[in-house]
Amino acid sequence: MVMAEGAAVMRRNRPGTKEKVPDFSNMLFRKIMLNIHSSHTVFVGVVTSSKSVTNMYSVCSQGECHPDTCTQMTATEQWIFLCAAHKTPKECPAIDYTRHTLDGAACLLNSNKYFPSRVSIKESSVGKLGSVCRRIYRIFSHAYFHHRQIFDKYENETFLCHRFTRFVMKYNLMSKDNLIVPIMEDETNPNEAEGENDA
Amino acid sequence: MDEQAGPGVFFNNNNSGLPGAGKGPQQPGDVGGGEAARAHYNIPGILHFLQHEWARFEVDRAQWEVERAELQAQIAFLQGERKGQENLKKDLVRRIKMLEYALKQERSKYHKLKYGTELNQGDMKPPSYDDSDEGNENEVPSPPNSSQLGWKQGRQLLRQYLQEVGYTDTIMDVKSQRVRALLGLAGDSGERPSVRKPEPMVNGTEPSLLKDSGMISKPDMSDSATVLEAFKFIESAAAEFSDEDDDEDSDGRDKTIMNLATMVRKKTSSSPSSSDMSDDPDTEEALKGFDFLASPDEMEGSPDVRSVEDSDDWEKEEQCPMPEAWDVDQGLIAQLKEQYRKERKGKKGVKRPNRSKLQDMLANLRDAEDLPSMQPPVTPPSRPSVPRLNEHEVGHPEEVEAMTFPPTSGKSFIMGPDEVAESELGLGELAGLTVANEADSLAYDVTNSQDALRKTWNPKFTLRSHFDSIRGLAFHPVEPVLVTASEDHTLKLWNLQKTAPAKKCAALDVEPIYTFRAHRGAVLCVTMSSTGEQCFSGGVDGTIQSWNTPNPNIDPYDSYEPSVLRGALLGHTDSVWGVVYSSAHQRLLSCSGDGTVRLWNAANTSPALAIFNEKGELGVPTSVDLVCSEPAHMVTSFSTGEIGLFNMETRQLILKLDQTGEPEAPCKINKVLSHPTLPITITAQEDRHIQFFDNNTGKCIHSMVAHLDAVTSLAVDPNGLYLMSGSHDCSIRLWNMESKTCIQEFTAHRKKSDEAIHDVAFHPTKCYIGSAGADALAKVFV
Repeated sequence: MVMAEGAAVMRRNRPGTKEKVPDFSNMLFRKIMLNIHSSHTVFVGVVTSSKSVTNMYSVCSQGECHPDTCTQMTATEQWIFLCAAHKTPKECPAIDYTRHTLDGAACLLNSNKYFPSRVSIKESSVGKLGSVCRRIYRIFSHAYFHHRQIFDKYENETFLCHRFTRFVMKYNLMSKDNLIVPIMEDETNPNEAEGENDA
Repeated sequence: MDEQAGPGVFFNNNNSGLPGAGKGPQQPGDVGGGEAARAHYNIPGILHFLQHEWARFEVDRAQWEVERAELQAQIAFLQGERKGQENLKKDLVRRIKMLEYALKQERSKYHKLKYGTELNQGDMKPPSYDDSDEGNENEVPSPPNSSQLGWKQGRQLLRQYLQEVGYTDTIMDVKSQRVRALLGLAGDSGERPSVRKPEPMVNGTEPSLLKDSGMISKPDMSDSATVLEAFKFIESAAAEFSDEDDDEDSDGRDKTIMNLATMVRKKTSSSPSSSDMSDDPDTEEALKGFDFLASPDEMEGSPDVRSVEDSDDWEKEEQCPMPEAWDVDQGLIAQLKEQYRKERKGKKGVKRPNRSKLQDMLANLRDAEDLPSMQPPVTPPSRPSVPRLNEHEVGHPEEVEAMTFPPTSGKSFIMGPDEVAESELGLGELAGLTVANEADSLAYDVTNSQDALRKTWNPKFTLRSHFDSIRGLAFHPVEPVLVTASEDHTLKLWNLQKTAPAKKCAALDVEPIYTFRAHRGAVLCVTMSSTGEQCFSGGVDGTIQSWNTPNPNIDPYDSYEPSVLRGALLGHTDSVWGVVYSSAHQRLLSCSGDGTVRLWNAANTSPALAIFNEKGELGVPTSVDLVCSEPAHMVTSFSTGEIGLFNMETRQLILKLDQTGEPEAPCKINKVLSHPTLPITITAQEDRHIQFFDNNTGKCIHSMVAHLDAVTSLAVDPNGLYLMSGSHDCSIRLWNMESKTCIQEFTAHRKKSDEAIHDVAFHPTKCYIGSAGADALAKVFV
């Protein structure tokens, strides 16, 4: 995978080193800002995002989000999200929804069937990116509405939700109606939720 | 109408029939009055009636004519068809007879050669072709000719089958040429030579086949036709055993190869010669089975050219007739061909089509009952091509065969080629042996050393699910399960028995069954406890997470089990680069970028029991390992090139081994490994070397350039005989521990940001090798 032009980094991480490795998501963000636009970027973006979300949220949520406390995956009160990782959509507790969605996204994005290459995206698979993003966004929204402190703390560290939102908007991977987490910056998104209750 | 017209007019105009006759039927309603009715008749009416009737008859007649013509045409057509079918049937019968006769002939000849007696095969007369009504003149000629003709036909058909299977014309031609050459060499000798000239052609691994060839080259070539010689030559070996098997196959071809294999295998003392001949049963079986495919090729040395021309003609004809005769085999072959084709899609080893095709044919023939021993020489004709392949092999040892074979029992892999010969007859259950074994039991030794390579490793599974490079992997002690640690902050658990067939590549794709999420940074290393119940991982965040390994049979989408994460071992202040589990004391050792090596109690998450190198005297530790020969010791390598041997109980440094690399330029050590049985430490270094140190003296015993780029990881097989090294030059190499020579090299993984392979591992009990790559893939080889 070849990253942006200015990113020729000697990425060797030998045992014993103490330097931190440059973070992909930051590079991606920079790339988006530079308006570098390609399907490769999109794919990488989705991958990176899901990866980042995987790491950060699962880690944090594991402390707080229990099947007992969050028995369903919801954001606002309107909709319950069903987990699509099963044969028939199942109402998983929030933590399970998160895990399954991230695992499912990992499988999908890595599968040869849907995404055989990292530099081009099959026409048929473009839709899948959208649904992956939509589900990942739900993780954000659940965290925002139910685990506010953790969300804030994390967001201040990494701005992951911001970056994800901008990424998704830039490439039109999701409809704006779905973006319900209020972003406090100049770019405002409609706050009314139209979260879909789909499989 | 002039009803006044009298009888005169009537008679004049009436030319057809009598009015009486016409009138009768015309007046059906006139029951009562005959004369009154008659009065209604008039000449014009009658005339019209008659004319009308006549016209009707004419129309009918025309229709009947048309119908008749149609029916006649149909008759002619059906007759033609029938004729065609009859001819077809005649052809079939004729061919069957010819082939049967030829077979009997050759069998008897061979039997005569072998035993000097006549074989009683019953009717040995050339088949008569008179049963076909139109005695086809072509078939009347003498048996050799007819059998020759039949051979030619059969040969064309078989050539076509071979092409389907994957043999190309060139291969067959080459083979036939070689056979002819072979015959030319050995044809005149008439005795049973021991392995002679043909032997060097085959790299010394299939003397048995060559003995057969020698044996076969009897002076019994009364038939001048080289064709017959070749046929004998090829068939004799088959015939020998078929005869001894009481001619179980009168139409041996038609039985599946499995039967033959069974019968052949049961003979344990058939071969008069040494153990080499014990390869013969398998060889012969293969010969027999396969030669029926290929032998017609060889039967006609000169008509080789002719056959090519005729092939087009014959192939179409043969299309229909032969399948019935070959039904059983064909179905089997087709099915296996499909399987082979599926598996061959996108495989890497395309560079060696010959060998793969041969192996495939072998696979086709051998199916369930796979035999060890010879792999390439499926038929004697192919033997000459074997040396070609062998050399090819030797020249390109790094080519990995992407043929997939069903996993076999561990025992089969352990056998060396010497043992294979005995065991193949001794073992009753040979079903577990696969073609891979046959391939692998041939020692493809790059350095042509004398040790037998146990097997050649082929990529089998691709573990694709991580988003970023995989930094470490660990196998479960007993199950076919492994854990991978990746820079995407997760670890994943994979069960190799739950695979998803991938359409495109030959290797099977595996999906993870569990994802471990707890690290806040890249996970750098992972290890499993000795029971496999727990695993430990260290990461950039400086924590060591301790996990309970989930059951390998869980559903990937089960509910969350909070009990999987046991806890974190905290203490290190920088990235943890290596973890090692000590089963003797239930302890865990870790080394970190903060300069320390810590010892932990693996049973709980309490702080470290001991800290070594606290002051960083020796540098930053890069890797740590337990000394297997001394339970209380552990060895650590440092970024400065130092290696330290510590006693864990006294917490003291025992010995500093020699510095690695040149005295003036100590190089960083990426991985240190302790030999399972000997007091030797092995290091993988940044300067592309692998060095061996003696634990007692601290001296460097051996140093070798191992790769083209930095060596990143080492692993030793559970028996301590082989060393595996992975490097950033994208290759994995297998070394023989004693001779320190490279046995096999395979390329795996793509380079990403200058890094390629981060870790390699052997499975402790099963025959798996795993490699962790920077391209986010982990590969498992069998």
